[in-house]
Amino acid sequence: MELMAHSSAFLLPTISGDHRPSFTYVLVVLNQRLPRFIPLLWKHSQLRVCADGGANRVYDEMPFLFPHEEALDVRHRYKPDVIEGDMDSIRMEVRDFYTSLGTKVVDESHDQDTTDLHKCISYIRDFTPDLDRSNLCVLVAGALGGRFDHEAGNINVLYRFSTMRIILISDDCLIYLLPRTHYHEIYIQSSVEGPHCGLIPIGMPSGNTTTTGLQWDLNDMEMRFGGLVSTSNIVRGEKVTVQSSSDLLWTISIKKT
Amino acid sequence: MDLMAHSSTFLLPTISGDHRPSLTYVLVLLNQRLPRTAQLRLCADGGANRVYDEMPLLFPHEDALDVRHRYKPDVIKGDMDSIRTEVLDFYTSLGTKVVDESHDQDTTDLHKCISYIRDFTPNLDKSNLCILVAGALGGRFDHEAGNINVLYRFSTMRIILISDDCLIYLLPRTHYHEIYIQSSVEGPNCGLIPIGMPSASTTTTGLQWDLTNMEMTFGGLISTSNIVKGEKVTVQSSSDLLWTISIKKT
Repeated sequence: MELMAHSSAFLLPTISGDHRPSFTYVLVVLNQRLPRFIPLLWKHSQLRVCADGGANRVYDEMPFLFPHEEALDVRHRYKPDVIEGDMDSIRMEVRDFYTSLGTKVVDESHDQDTTDLHKCISYIRDFTPDLDRSNLCVLVAGALGGRFDHEAGNINVLYRFSTMRIILISDDCLIYLLPRTHYHEIYIQSSVEGPHCGLIPIGMPSGNTTTTGLQWDLNDMEMRFGGLVSTSNIVRGEKVTVQSSSDLLWTISIKKT
Repeated sequence: MDLMAHSSTFLLPTISGDHRPSLTYVLVLLNQRLPRTAQLRLCADGGANRVYDEMPLLFPHEDALDVRHRYKPDVIKGDMDSIRTEVLDFYTSLGTKVVDESHDQDTTDLHKCISYIRDFTPNLDKSNLCILVAGALGGRFDHEAGNINVLYRFSTMRIILISDDCLIYLLPRTHYHEIYIQSSVEGPNCGLIPIGMPSASTTTTGLQWDLTNMEMTFGGLISTSNIVKGEKVTVQSSSDLLWTISIKKT
């Protein structure tokens, strides 16, 4: 079974060259309040995509993160590369502002069958030839909280694009898929994440999960909704390993600074 | 198959007598809108801090102490690692019952509260009990998942998780469900989510995008951003589903 390594290096102020694995980050911003560390995610990313109303959020809220600067300067500096989606949330003046700065707008209003996040991930996968995709990692802000059906739809995108690395990030935590096809090593960046964590068998029970590096490690344990789900667990040390017979969601808390 | 009827009348300013089904409400506040209709009010550990700190902010023209007296929980329960000492003392002095479960680290605070309500409340009419939980969603995802798991672990009880934006409850596969929509306070956005297990077959009526014997699974189709049409939604499924509907901003 192949090894898959994970690390939240994108939460660090700088990503040093010896951090392994090394990734090409793409940022997707959805239509919820921006997490306080979004400028950091923006800085680490090679491409920045707003999903529809996510563009309103960047326009409105980014200047608040830089209260001593001119709003217009901040908006120029934090200009998305692409705005994608069904365009039913983005305000006209926001769309015009970014279009005038050269942001590419991909209007998918004809497609009502997939969520805005789904459209963004498809776009990133299929229409970005200039991006080094050998080690792509998509960071998604604004996917959690708010309406639960939106949150569930966003989590479903992780399952539908299970061969891509996609991380859902909020102010409080991050989530990503651990596909059953791999043995997972999760390197813990303890200055910025943890210690609270969990392994969640969303969508399907897991007959068998084994971990190392947790306060309450699992040993060939069955997990399912209605039975045991690993929540309020604690990371111990620098590395957690996970192997499971089903896809699991890994979640870890983000430290307040 | 037995019919199970649902209605979010607890969101209405008053619940009139002809609203069916008529339920006994219990409110559980976790560490995060209160119907006056609750017969019993529990705070799970740090939920007591929330009531103490935040209730007066909802009544800014009143004296904080008056508000705190009026909104006194009946029970505070949990492992007591979040509640502040002065909050615990304040409510104890007013007669709130404190159930300290700090020895039990295997279950979440919500789980402990639901067990308590089920097992230790003889004075409550439990023939038609409905537990409303505030503060179960958002925040840390592992907490949220643990709270959703409580719905599955106590699947024979009516438990509704409520946030500012939406509510969630379980539709057990054992029943045919009729959901009466209170359109003044909820909707139109809704969804049906097969969180724990795929559903081989789900059939609905009353939705913009109804399902007919449709398979739903993570990795495939799940019903999100659906829309309620009209006053009643019906659901029948071969697996337990989560129903979710948005709450209107007023």
